[in-house]
Amino acid sequence: MKITDAAVYPYPLGDASVRRLALEAAALGFDSIVAADTPSVTYGEVEVRSGLMIRDVPIKDVISAVKRSKDSGKVISVNAANNNFNRAVIGIKGVHILRGIQSADKLAFDHVAAKMAADNRVAVDIDLSPIIMGRSAARQRAIHRYMDILVLEQRFEFPITLSTHARSLLDMRNVRDIAGLCSLIGMDVPDVERALAGVGTVLTPPKQAVTVIA
Amino acid sequence: MSTRPPTLREKRRYILARIEPAGTLLEQKELYYAISDAVTSLWGDATTAIITPAVVALESGHVVIRCRRGTERELAIALSTVIACRDVPICLRIIAASGTIESLRSRFHPEKILKSKIETEKTATWADDGIEPVLPECSFAKKSFIIVQCNGQKVDVIEKGFKNTNRLFLTKDDLENLNATTISDRI
Repeated sequence: MKITDAAVYPYPLGDASVRRLALEAAALGFDSIVAADTPSVTYGEVEVRSGLMIRDVPIKDVISAVKRSKDSGKVISVNAANNNFNRAVIGIKGVHILRGIQSADKLAFDHVAAKMAADNRVAVDIDLSPIIMGRSAARQRAIHRYMDILVLEQRFEFPITLSTHARSLLDMRNVRDIAGLCSLIGMDVPDVERALAGVGTVLTPPKQAVTVIA
Repeated sequence: MSTRPPTLREKRRYILARIEPAGTLLEQKELYYAISDAVTSLWGDATTAIITPAVVALESGHVVIRCRRGTERELAIALSTVIACRDVPICLRIIAASGTIESLRSRFHPEKILKSKIETEKTATWADDGIEPVLPECSFAKKSFIIVQCNGQKVDVIEKGFKNTNRLFLTKDDLENLNATTISDRI
């Protein structure tokens, strides 16, 4: 089980180099990070996974982008939009994470989408940056949305990932802080552990329920 | 007014946190306001009154924060939401919690503080001599930077010139034209 921060943005999107982010991630207790627009490498003990974050594009472009990145080993995530878009994205083979659910509308992720996510092993990302940086209404809305997502997660058991969306070294939080912040949305320690291992879960192929022995 | 006997005083806990980025100059009062704001924003007035956060010490890049015993967890969560102190981006990394300030002071690494003090004195001596200390330069992504902090592999830089004064966080391996052995561990 690898403890992973599911989204960080190194230089030039952020203010820290990918090496420095990896160094910091190791100090904060992470085994791997998913970095946007960075090749997959390993610095010291930390594995940097290449991440492809797709946002604000129609479904056609999502499909073509996913096709292009197929078998590249990238962690492909798509920003959530309305309900139809989300269902279509979850149905695309090769998409690993649906993120930005806190910014989408209230009905963007319903029980049907949750069932589809569980069946297709698409994770829903919990972005901690609105809880860390947001204040008053923005933070309250994010907490409420995440609690709603967790109700569906407990029922349908789709994977969850946790990310800080750190654009700076100062935006990263250690594993204990993350557990504390997740307690605000009703996640206990085993839930947090499972969510931190969520990227590994969606990248490993599912075990077959029935094994045929010749 | 006589002080209360120890058994009647309210029990307190102290949390030690490291301030990042290293070398950020902060005032104790401003940091208190930042922490108080974060705690109030997250937990509300009633719970903040129970937590009673207070900054009791701020020295050598570390801060000791006091709270009521049993509220350390709430305070720690709130501390992870501190993102700035008077528009200066900072981050508090919790190191330890204890019942006494003295036990936390031993975690400050006194020998390191002594070393940095000696180096600060050295720099001041140069300034007294009329020689301004020259900060080493480096380049990264085809731009020139001035190194403002260097600790082990970690190098913090600021772009040369007056347009962009944001700090960049790099490592020695990232720098293009720098002989890593020429940088001292503390600048």
